[in-house]
Amino acid sequence: MDVSDILASHAAKFQATTVEKDIHLDADPGCLAVSDLNPIDEESYNLNLEEHLQTLARDGTQVLINALFSLPTTSSPDGPLAQLPPPVFQLPRAKPLPKPKPPTKWELFAKAKGIQKKRKEKRVWDEEKQEWVNRWGKGGKNKQVEDQWITEVPHNAEVNFDPRKEARDERKVRIAKNEKQQQQNLARQANPRETRKREIERDLVQTRISTASMGRFDKQLEGEKKPHGIKRKFNPTEENAEDERKASLALLSKIESDAKKMRKDPQREDNIVNVRKAIRHASKGKGALAMAGKSDGKGNKRKGKR
Amino acid sequence: MLRTVKPKNARSKRVLDARAPKEVEGPRTAVFVKGTHTGEVLNNVMKELMALKRPNAISFSKKNAIHPFDDNTDSLQSVEFWAGKNDASMFVFGHSTKKRPDGLTFIRLYHGRVFDMIEVGVDKFDSMTDFKTPKATPGHKPLMHFASDLFDSHPRFMQLKSMLLDLFNSEAIDSICLPGIEHVISVSLSPTPASLNTANSAPDGARDTTKPEELPKVHIRTFTVKLLASGTRIPRVELTPMGPFLDLSLRRFREADPEMLKQAMKRPKVTKQDVEKGLGQKKKNMEVDEMGDLRGRIHLGKQDLSKLQTRKMKGLKPGMDQEDGDSEEEEEEPRRKKNKTR
Repeated sequence: MDVSDILASHAAKFQATTVEKDIHLDADPGCLAVSDLNPIDEESYNLNLEEHLQTLARDGTQVLINALFSLPTTSSPDGPLAQLPPPVFQLPRAKPLPKPKPPTKWELFAKAKGIQKKRKEKRVWDEEKQEWVNRWGKGGKNKQVEDQWITEVPHNAEVNFDPRKEARDERKVRIAKNEKQQQQNLARQANPRETRKREIERDLVQTRISTASMGRFDKQLEGEKKPHGIKRKFNPTEENAEDERKASLALLSKIESDAKKMRKDPQREDNIVNVRKAIRHASKGKGALAMAGKSDGKGNKRKGKR
Repeated sequence: MLRTVKPKNARSKRVLDARAPKEVEGPRTAVFVKGTHTGEVLNNVMKELMALKRPNAISFSKKNAIHPFDDNTDSLQSVEFWAGKNDASMFVFGHSTKKRPDGLTFIRLYHGRVFDMIEVGVDKFDSMTDFKTPKATPGHKPLMHFASDLFDSHPRFMQLKSMLLDLFNSEAIDSICLPGIEHVISVSLSPTPASLNTANSAPDGARDTTKPEELPKVHIRTFTVKLLASGTRIPRVELTPMGPFLDLSLRRFREADPEMLKQAMKRPKVTKQDVEKGLGQKKKNMEVDEMGDLRGRIHLGKQDLSKLQTRKMKGLKPGMDQEDGDSEEEEEEPRRKKNKTR
């Protein structure tokens, strides 16, 4: 049986999807583009421009469609999704690459110790209420003692012991500690150049008002601007004697103290784990030597048990 | 640059976060600006380019007296200011003068500064409405087609290609819906003049100085794509004109500053783990359902149906076909007992 006729009629029904060109067309499915590096044929260009452009575009599109349809696909409700490779043609970015966030002291410590980050759920189960409540925030679990209508008071409590106030103060102290740590992290991560610049600016403003007239009758330099955001603050003429005494004493002690001179150098960043503290903790306050001896002793004991 | 502000509430923080630099960038937002005078042609050109660029396009309705190629004015400062305000990194500026009629300037920005510019003149324009054919859905990604060897060798045309690709297809995507491919933007050139042929080519620096009149014309055509069955998995492509059709000629330009170019071409470092996982590739056999639960499919191999226990029937017993009908009653008794004891 001769099937060539049937095959020929079948082939005529479907047109070819291949494109023959001198230089192979370069499809870049990553950015949905195709480039045709063949020189433009002058003859067909002059003969019929629109037809020439359309055939050119058709051939290019066919090559790109061939590349796109031969990519691996996944199904979706709207039809097959072709998984595109990364683009070959490089376009300039619109914005610079994001800078990595500098690590906090805790993150450095956790990395040194190999502590994995655990994600805390925002809501916790309340057994009494039998519902999910916020860990913090509105109606938070951390405010439970403050909000409950009755609270147990210990036997040896003072007369004016306020359990609500106690719990609230504790919480506020925790918040303050966290804020302080945040500030310290920011200070550690700050650019020293920027910090110095801010310090110099502050010093300059201070010197300008440190004259007998508070800078009022000083000679203004050319291009000098009025310091920004400085407000004069007047204390009330009548003040509580107790407060006044406190303020004066605080000022005196500040002048007398050697706090600034005695301030230690900040700890270096490379040894984020405090070795001395770690040894003390591990040996339960007995020191490294005791630890070395103990390990031998432990080994003997185990042998005995077996 | 606009002053950097610290967000005071969650909403403004979200806005600022959305504007912050990202490792993988989204599409560029383009702002369409009119100069002091734009003719009817230019107005329509900008309107239709904007229709192709939607939804990442912003139109300025008022006229703006800027001259991007004039160094004596502070036009570029205005452009940079608008870019900051609109979080846009691309501008299409239309301006028509007696000396340069129907001029269209593409301005690209990097980090809030002007990166490069290219000016083209519109010689011929056929609107979308001139063709009574179906149009592509707004927001669908176009295919791009560039035809000429100059797009790979001549700096001016390389810049034009980069600019047009950035305008229409700047977003790097990891997958595309194949039935969603609706239109193609074809950029083609007139035949390369002898002065630009590679056979008698001068070094690149000299080619850069060729007069704009000598450069070949640019033909931008947009077609809708029709996919026909071809008997194979890959369909046969047929195109129908959609519009707009543009004939452009290159005019003035500004190349990117080499230092800025180096910065802008930096790519994020890809970790080895990400490469092994398959960049942007879907994890196989895992999906998140409507309830947000992760569901997996596991392959169990082919089931052996010969060992399947179906309903027990007398007639299907293995030794049944050889035995006679007499022995049936005897057999039934012990089985019933068995059932009871269970």
